Amino acid sequence: MENCQPSTPKRRFLSGLFGGRKGDRISVANPTSIVSVELMEKTGVYFPEAHLDPSKMSELAAAGYEILGFDSIMPEFSVQQEAEALGCVVDWGSPTMMPDAKTHPVKEVEDLTIPDNILEKPSMAVLLRALEILKRTYGDHVAIAGKVMGPWTISYHLCGVQDFLIWTLTEPEKVKELLHRLKEVSIAFANAQFRAGADAVVIADHATGDLVSPKAYQDFLLPVHQEMNQRIGGPTILHICGNCSDRLRLFVEAGFDGYHFEWQVDAKMAVQVVNHEMSLVGNIANKDVLFGGTPEDVYKQARYSIEAGVDILAPECAVPLQTPIANLKAIVEAAKEGYSKMSC
Amino acid sequence: MAPEEIDRFYRALRNTNLATMETLVKEYIEKRVSPIIILNEGMIGAMGIIGQEFKASKIWVPEVLLAARNMNRGIEILKPELLREKTPSKGKFVIGTVKGDIHDIGKNLVTMIMTGAGYEVIDLGIDVPKDRFLEVISKDHPDIVGLSALLTTTMLEMKVLVKAIRQAFSNPPKVIVGGAPVTQKFADEIQADGYAEDAVRAVELANRLLSKGG
Repeated sequence: MENCQPSTPKRRFLSGLFGGRKGDRISVANPTSIVSVELMEKTGVYFPEAHLDPSKMSELAAAGYEILGFDSIMPEFSVQQEAEALGCVVDWGSPTMMPDAKTHPVKEVEDLTIPDNILEKPSMAVLLRALEILKRTYGDHVAIAGKVMGPWTISYHLCGVQDFLIWTLTEPEKVKELLHRLKEVSIAFANAQFRAGADAVVIADHATGDLVSPKAYQDFLLPVHQEMNQRIGGPTILHICGNCSDRLRLFVEAGFDGYHFEWQVDAKMAVQVVNHEMSLVGNIANKDVLFGGTPEDVYKQARYSIEAGVDILAPECAVPLQTPIANLKAIVEAAKEGYSKMSC
Repeated sequence: MAPEEIDRFYRALRNTNLATMETLVKEYIEKRVSPIIILNEGMIGAMGIIGQEFKASKIWVPEVLLAARNMNRGIEILKPELLREKTPSKGKFVIGTVKGDIHDIGKNLVTMIMTGAGYEVIDLGIDVPKDRFLEVISKDHPDIVGLSALLTTTMLEMKVLVKAIRQAFSNPPKVIVGGAPVTQKFADEIQADGYAEDAVRAVELANRLLSKGG
């Protein structure tokens, strides 16, 4: 008989990430940001300061555990930390607007310079310091998650999405060289995050089904991701949004411990295809449910994902900043009901 | 144009070498084929195939971007000939990514494909405030205005714009919307005149709206 004793947030998360003992209920985590304007108002910590100040970053991130009741704390809210360190001019946005790279300085491989001290660049060091703070305060019972951008996503910022995508056809060798060099940034940053206290690191690398083919993933990224998973010392969760139903097996082959996926990918199908060879983290829909729906809508989707057998429950992607807190809490409420009325 | 000729344009659109399209268009100009035929049957005909393949997930965004780039180059070469023929534009189309949103791949694709389809396109770029849309509408009198957004938060700006445009003009242009988070349901809710899922469908939608004469 299964052990149905209550667990702790950290144990629950780690067990889910490695597809282990199920305990009394599913873990609820956030591989991507769950910060909302309401959460900023409750903590008194706002964007853009929270992207660049370690104590503010950790305080706002901790609200995900303190206020919402998630099992994880993940302090990286933007996708631009590496971009600025590598030379993009970044507009850090406002409480209602996420940061964005304003310039795309890399047109040729030669334009790419990776500073030796990249981990000390302010936009990257801030995350390491925030993780250290979180580890000290919450490390004994909450899962601390880090996040890095993979080389594909960094290339979008450095080169511009449109140019980079065309190069995959016109100059594939250039794309491979950029990925080869930029993966070093992702690996170094991920390992530094483990040293700073992360229990797992999310690798966001947006070779999404909305833009490129599974073959593009296979040709360009699969070998890169395989190498990254060999050289990153702790557990990794891949985040690629969009409909990736057609490439789930490739993510398994890449060696990730978990995959964070969207509602567009049916949870039942994903569980079947992945076959417990990689944990599935997801997949409550942002736009129609967390942002536009009611707590009842959230509950229904959460129960569907739990019953489908996902390993960790989570919003599908960084939530829109106007997402109501009540909807985020509804994910945790649905999880607290356990796996099913019959199981415990 | 015979199917095998359209196929040559199709292959030029798919080719990673820009020179293939350049050579092909020049060859047809030298053969004294009407530039309207080269554009409508050759390039737009071939782009239609690209659109169908994209819809069927046989090709992906990089291939469509490449085709759009190649088509633009073809149009550039054809432009002096087209001006000589004085082809009437199919209609005037103003497009922009709404305020607060800086994403433009989808918008750029729509711009390129609408231009290719014979529309006169005024592209206002990204993060376009309401007043800028109103100013351009009153100055240029477009037939259709296209609003683009990638973010769930900025798509709400579309609602503001649809209302503002209808209030500001007694004979307002048609307003169509698109972008990753936008759906037909959302378009209906904000009472837009139409929604298109991708750039090729945007052209079909524009053709349909204008042929209704209203």
